[in-house]
Amino acid sequence: MNLTKLIAPSLACAVFGSPVAAQALAQIKFAAPKRVHAGDKLLGAGRYYPSPVFHDVNGDGTLDIVVGDLLGKVTFAPGVAGKPGVFGKEEPLLDRDGKQLKFHNW
Amino acid sequence: MGSQFVDFNADGHVDYLSATFDGSPHISYGSKEGFSEPVRLKDANGKRILISSFWNYEDREHQTTDRSIGKAVQERCISALAFDWDADGDYDLLLGSYENGHLYRQMNEGSNAEPKFTGKCIPVMAGGQPFALAHKMTAPRLVDWDGDGDLDLIAGSFGDSYSQNGTGGGVYLARNQGEVGKPVFGALEPLIEPHSNGGTECSRPNAGLYADVVDYDGDGDLDLIVGAYSMWTPKGKKLNDAEKATVAKLRKELAKAQQKSSAFLRKISDEAKQATAGLDPKSKEWRTTYSAVYSKYNDERVKLLKPMQAIQKELGKLIPQPKREPFVWLYERLSQN
Repeated sequence: MNLTKLIAPSLACAVFGSPVAAQALAQIKFAAPKRVHAGDKLLGAGRYYPSPVFHDVNGDGTLDIVVGDLLGKVTFAPGVAGKPGVFGKEEPLLDRDGKQLKFHNW
Repeated sequence: MGSQFVDFNADGHVDYLSATFDGSPHISYGSKEGFSEPVRLKDANGKRILISSFWNYEDREHQTTDRSIGKAVQERCISALAFDWDADGDYDLLLGSYENGHLYRQMNEGSNAEPKFTGKCIPVMAGGQPFALAHKMTAPRLVDWDGDGDLDLIAGSFGDSYSQNGTGGGVYLARNQGEVGKPVFGALEPLIEPHSNGGTECSRPNAGLYADVVDYDGDGDLDLIVGAYSMWTPKGKKLNDAEKATVAKLRKELAKAQQKSSAFLRKISDEAKQATAGLDPKSKEWRTTYSAVYSKYNDERVKLLKPMQAIQKELGKLIPQPKREPFVWLYERLSQN
């Protein structure tokens, strides 16, 4: 399955043609972690507790990475069509008034 | 803050649900024009939804209510998910606490268009025990991790977020072993084990692990994306005699500058205490008076800080300083052996 065809990350498995089989924890292995880039910069750098979530926020049919943070600010790195795992330069997620979306915090 | 994109009010537009350290879930409603300014979710009685504690903007402190049921003492809701727990066609809420890393559900007795949240937080169980991440929970996510058709829980923990010698956070899975409308979560299983902070390289996320799950590379299995702080101290080089002398000189200068700064801060603190003597520390007058004293010395404080920062920068070129920097990491799931 291609990343660009996913429509909602929290329901990722619902769109799998052949769902991931149940496996014992002992078999779940990950490669050594790698930092994710947005354009030529490291995603999350300079943020307070970056929290990523995948969603097609610009409606172009490709999943983007949306990043919230402790301060309540929201940005996104646009996914590049046809290139899973490649993301463009991070930009603020704007609200309908053109201001950066910001959730209240203390 | 955790994040969930979901059509919460069933109007055909995706909304953005989150919760922050102010203790309540917030939602930014989507429309064809875009997202609106986030607002707090309220329960059926019009009260802001809480677990038990919240940040009082007026009093500028965290306060605890007795509105929540059970043992949710001094727990702040810092994460929220919409989830139709009982499969009755509307979204209920899952609320995650920072303290103790507990997870609660709050049921919706209305509809998506006109929700009526009960105001009562019911502990979510995992493996027969209240769901708990002892090292504080960042945010949970819902995903069918094991492909059995129901939604499992994935949650990250903070761990020790500051000490280079501490133990960081992890990412955990609680498999849904129940059925639609009657979820039963199994015991928490670590997907990413907490690891010691520190080391000489930036090689992994250490603390404050916020995870999402996606098939990142399009290979048909679910990978983890994790936002977090990394903590490490780069390996230093062997210094020659001249460099050693420079280090000694800089350290001496730094100590002197720190002494000067501390004395200045003590002076401001004493003046603020005198100025606010007899005032109620929770009053607006106290805050205004206190802030005014500190504001008066802003420029001088900056002047004192600058040389210290310059010395530390020079020192850092010779003696690597501990680093704590945030990034987003990919944990690529390997094919099964």
